[in-house]
Amino acid sequence: MATLTIDGRRVEAPAGTFLLQACRQAGVSVPTLCDHPAVEPYGGCRLCVVDVTRPEWDGWRKMVVSCLYPVEDGLIVDTRSDRVIETRRVVLDLLLARSPRTPLIQRLAREYGIERTSYEPNPEPTDCILCGLCVRICDRLGHSAIGTADRGAGRVVAPPFHEPPEACVGCLACAEICPTGFIRFESGPDRRRIWNRDFEMVRCPRCGRAHVTKAQAAWYARRMGWPEAEFEVCDSCRRRDMAATTVRLGEGPTGNAAS
Amino acid sequence: MDRIYRVTPQSCIACGKCELACSFAHGSDGRPAQSRIHIFRRGPEAGTPVVCLQCDDAACLAVCPVGALSWNLRTGAIEVSQETCIRCRMCVVACPFGNMHWDEGRHEVAKCDLCGGDPRCVPFCPTGALAWLTPAAAVRPAEPTATRDGLPGDR
Repeated sequence: MATLTIDGRRVEAPAGTFLLQACRQAGVSVPTLCDHPAVEPYGGCRLCVVDVTRPEWDGWRKMVVSCLYPVEDGLIVDTRSDRVIETRRVVLDLLLARSPRTPLIQRLAREYGIERTSYEPNPEPTDCILCGLCVRICDRLGHSAIGTADRGAGRVVAPPFHEPPEACVGCLACAEICPTGFIRFESGPDRRRIWNRDFEMVRCPRCGRAHVTKAQAAWYARRMGWPEAEFEVCDSCRRRDMAATTVRLGEGPTGNAAS
Repeated sequence: MDRIYRVTPQSCIACGKCELACSFAHGSDGRPAQSRIHIFRRGPEAGTPVVCLQCDDAACLAVCPVGALSWNLRTGAIEVSQETCIRCRMCVVACPFGNMHWDEGRHEVAKCDLCGGDPRCVPFCPTGALAWLTPAAAVRPAEPTATRDGLPGDR
């Protein structure tokens, strides 16, 4: 355990955790865009900056991204200092210039008093804020089907060579985790389409409902070491099966095995 | 874990009150389709409740790639952390009993969480088919066993 001070309050935090968690545990809200409990901290959005100092630093302070700064005994954290707020404003101002039409960014910017960006707005507005959540979650799932391509202002999230990604299974985790809804997909009874790749769907043999892609079923089977057929039946038909099994057991020799 | 959730399908009269209680407990609109317990009718006034078994070796918990599912050791339920969940729905596909649901309206996975230790379906069950009991009370009385005169049914 480390004892630190956050906005004037003494807080205990488990060693090895980061400042952001300690702040949130203490009830101090810190804005973030690239943080998600399912993936490792990334330090991409720079919104979670805080000021840190120690008594022996003689008033010297430094600004750190709280999601990547480990908790330390005796650390004094200020999440609301003028320069912290100013830094967040600059970050949001730049993000608003990049993505002027994105509701999430507009809302956050407004919270910091920015209605319109002071920079030249992006002539080609994009919803992608390069938080990297989609890339990291795809990595975490073990597919690594997408990554960032190119550098600087031209940096984008894309599959390798901007071609339909072979490693993708169409699980839609990237689209689900995207905070701005930038990743588009289509999912229908026959086909699913994401990253310009078409996926064939598995249909439940009982009710005909399409619930996963064939690539997804194959991946689940590999991951679990189960036969692929295990993933064909949809969840509502499985419940029906469970009810039927319960009834069958209840009709058995003792009559109470069903419970 | 000081209580056990007991289901007695023989006592179920398929009234559907548990489904309503469940959907109200986990939302405001009370649509039985959102319920985490399902009654399958097997005749007039006879149903089979199907609800999460909170498996010891749970497939949902094993497949979750981000550790969003965990045991609540106090209640004995497997719970979903919606903050950590990435909505990949692998648990929905993995549960062999179909007891992990996808709630399209709320856009999240849903499972029986025993309402944090006070299952709301239980007080609404009129026949005691659903019960929330201490381990001692949950034990069924032993079946009558054979005696010198033969099996109980012989007499």
